[in-house]
Amino acid sequence: MRLKRVWTVTGLLVATVALGVGVASAGGASGSKQGDSILKIGWAQNPSTINPYVGQDEEAFSIWAINWDLLVNFSPKDLSPTPGIAESWDISDDKKTVTFHLDPNAKWSDGQPITSEDVKYSLEVLGSKGALFTSYTDNITSIETPNADTVVIHTKRPDARIVGGLFIYILPKHVWGKVPVGDLTGSYKPELPLVGSGPFIVTDFEPNRITKMEKNPNFRGPEPKFDEIQFIRYGNQDAAERALQVGEVDMVPEVSAAGFARLGDQPNIETLRASSPAYTQMAFNSCSTKICPDAQYNPAIQDLAVRQATAYAVDRERINQIAARDTSFEAHGMLPSFYKSFYEVPADDYPYDPEKAKQILDDAGWQDNGDSPRTKGGQELKFNLYVRSESPYDIQAAKLVAEQAKAVGIEYDVQVVSTDKLYDLTVRKVNGKPAPDYDTFIWGWGGDPYDPSFLLSVLTTGEIGGSSDSYYSNPTYDRLFKQQAGSFDTAQRKGIIQRMVALTQHDLPYLVITYDPNLEAYRTDRVANVEPTCPEDSTGDAICDQTSYEPLLTIAPGSSSGESGGGGSGIAIAVVAVVVVGVGAFFVIRARRRRDSEPLELDE
Amino acid sequence: MSGRWLAGKVAAALLTFAFVLVFNFFLFRVMGDPTTQLARLPQATPEELQQLRHNYGLDKPLMGQFVDYVGDTGRLDLGLSQRSRQPVWSEIKDALPWTLLLVGTGTLLATVIGSWLGVVAATRRGKRTDDGLLGFSLFTYAAPEYWIGIILILVFAVWIPIFPSGLQVTPGVQFSGFFSNAWDVAKHLVLPATAMTLMLLGQYFLIMRSSMVDVLTEDFITVKRATGLPWERVVRRHAVPNALLPLVTLSAIQFGAVVGGAITIETIFSWPGLGELSFQAINDKDFPVLEGTFLVFSAGVILANLLADCLYFYLDPRVQSR
Repeated sequence: MRLKRVWTVTGLLVATVALGVGVASAGGASGSKQGDSILKIGWAQNPSTINPYVGQDEEAFSIWAINWDLLVNFSPKDLSPTPGIAESWDISDDKKTVTFHLDPNAKWSDGQPITSEDVKYSLEVLGSKGALFTSYTDNITSIETPNADTVVIHTKRPDARIVGGLFIYILPKHVWGKVPVGDLTGSYKPELPLVGSGPFIVTDFEPNRITKMEKNPNFRGPEPKFDEIQFIRYGNQDAAERALQVGEVDMVPEVSAAGFARLGDQPNIETLRASSPAYTQMAFNSCSTKICPDAQYNPAIQDLAVRQATAYAVDRERINQIAARDTSFEAHGMLPSFYKSFYEVPADDYPYDPEKAKQILDDAGWQDNGDSPRTKGGQELKFNLYVRSESPYDIQAAKLVAEQAKAVGIEYDVQVVSTDKLYDLTVRKVNGKPAPDYDTFIWGWGGDPYDPSFLLSVLTTGEIGGSSDSYYSNPTYDRLFKQQAGSFDTAQRKGIIQRMVALTQHDLPYLVITYDPNLEAYRTDRVANVEPTCPEDSTGDAICDQTSYEPLLTIAPGSSSGESGGGGSGIAIAVVAVVVVGVGAFFVIRARRRRDSEPLELDE
Repeated sequence: MSGRWLAGKVAAALLTFAFVLVFNFFLFRVMGDPTTQLARLPQATPEELQQLRHNYGLDKPLMGQFVDYVGDTGRLDLGLSQRSRQPVWSEIKDALPWTLLLVGTGTLLATVIGSWLGVVAATRRGKRTDDGLLGFSLFTYAAPEYWIGIILILVFAVWIPIFPSGLQVTPGVQFSGFFSNAWDVAKHLVLPATAMTLMLLGQYFLIMRSSMVDVLTEDFITVKRATGLPWERVVRRHAVPNALLPLVTLSAIQFGAVVGGAITIETIFSWPGLGELSFQAINDKDFPVLEGTFLVFSAGVILANLLADCLYFYLDPRVQSR
């Protein structure tokens, strides 16, 4: 009797599961039209929100950069200014006033005209309240809109960023302007479709599943080859890479170093190693006693000879080969090669030369003690080298640095700590004054994809207490930084930036080890016309992530686009059927056998 | 009598939950001032930090914060996710059905298959079937679930591509109706549910087998057999129901525990349940979400325990007569 109850309970459970399938899957349906060509992009994370006032994820920028234009866009080839919302612009003689001319026929995706009011609204409101957009308008004194197609921006000082780096998306005022700013910076969910000016606009956004973008009917440029882009969230990189392998997605814009080698061997999959505006550096505590009276460090780290000897002792290419599996790029100074218009290999490049390292230390009076660290008058070349536990690459790089530096008589004691801990060590304060507690550490920086200003700013005196983690301070560098910021002429600006790089290569607050890559992979049978584009050389990014939507206009469906791989419905039905029939047959046969057996037969 | 018994159990569950609430509150307070986590802004002025503390009610005395916390939790207001800026409860509400589906299917299959195999093994104790089943279940019990998951994906999604490699539903597809939608979910459910089943199967098998072995050696079984009842009937009618009791407790308690324990499987299969949610929250240091998921996991275990007690009451006459 009791057994019956158990079956009742089991039956109820089965019903619950069946209901569960229904409840859980309800609401998941949201459609694409039949016959549309869809570009499916797999990534680990969807943006957590697509509201530009609060969003902080890289993925959000990837979406926004397709949905909206900037006042002035960036040419994918060399990141130079190219028409965006503004068709053209004039710079006044004193370079403090820039007049932008808008296309009078330009329309938002909902058919409303794009006007100077939209520009003013975006620069003033998003530029002052948006979590990640506030630093670009510091220099602006006023914005005028003499008519619907003209915007005039006045600045305190000449600021090249007004044309080449005003990284604030232009939003439609008639949509965003009617929402109170307090809501926008709170838990506001943007209305869909996300009215925009780019080639595709967001039509469906489910943070834990998918971001869907469809063609903007009023886009001013050439018509994209795909009808729709889907960004599909897989939760982690491994899963996204697997989805590419089995053909569930067409492209993965960010693959791991391990996945890069593996996917490269697969049929129908092509991998791309693109340069990016990011680097990994070894930072030396350069804080003077004046700025940081209570800093904790071995003063020998501030001996230039020690830092230069370290730079010669470290084989950066070997670190790339071993720690990054040869997916990174050997670094030459603090400006990544990604910034093509400004990049050049600096004169002081510190090629791997341990003999020279030893010579420099000998000349500086550091006494060679064989296997023990070198010494000079009570000082010892023994330093801590902090590294984040979250980054296997950084840890491996630190170990290699320590191993190579030991050979010339400098001991780096690698200490693996959490990101939080390292952060606390670098920003430590005593009595309100900076007091960093480290000798050296390995970490990285990522810059804005179109303009090197941010990366250059990290070593300015003004950033002490802000982004500066080496506490480097050099008045000449600071002066050059301001100068390049006001230079509208690319060649001239390149000259200034090169002087800044040369200064830091001499002083070595950072020893930049590698330029980080952007590893991409795509299916050659699903997408065509994928070319390294950003910048225009063999290390270009194929989709110009966060920088330009132009590649998305040329990438086209491949030979077998639209077939979804994995989980073929027919085969799945067949497998389930075979299993069900098999299990059924087993029970029938067993029951027959039982009936034939003797009832009184004992089993002993 | 039975009403009082039930009331006692419910009171005990509520007390445990109250303790969890207190613990959860203080756990996230001993980790230091949350504003230092909230505002990783080196340039934040003391005034801004003070404002932030005020906004989050962190400038109140601890007791006042606790009262607010209990009140908010009672209204299912678990705060805002730091990452998505959406209410934590709505994130949990979206993820919960998926976890219940996966864990429910896995537990159900593991219980049914595990206990059936346990019966088969116990009735053939010492024979080759028994040895084989014992080896198999010990293997699945010992094998890490991420390994099982990856092998399943490799075989059934990569080599023989008959099931999707991850996710819970084909993304971006318009389903013509409820059944095509459910079928799509079912297809996606096969691999993670199989991994879940294999992960849980071993313990149900072992419990059922040892429980059956005990029952089969009891006097009443010998008596039943002596009366001439067919062996099959003795096992099914008299041995299995008595051996099932420990299994009921185990599966009810397990159900509560694995709601949180599905983290690995959900992550591998990109299954958007609570496990995946907490995994992401850990990665993002999204403490409000973590606090919320901890609470749900604890509530799940407490509820499952209560359920197990009730089931026991229903199934075991000895409990009723007490």
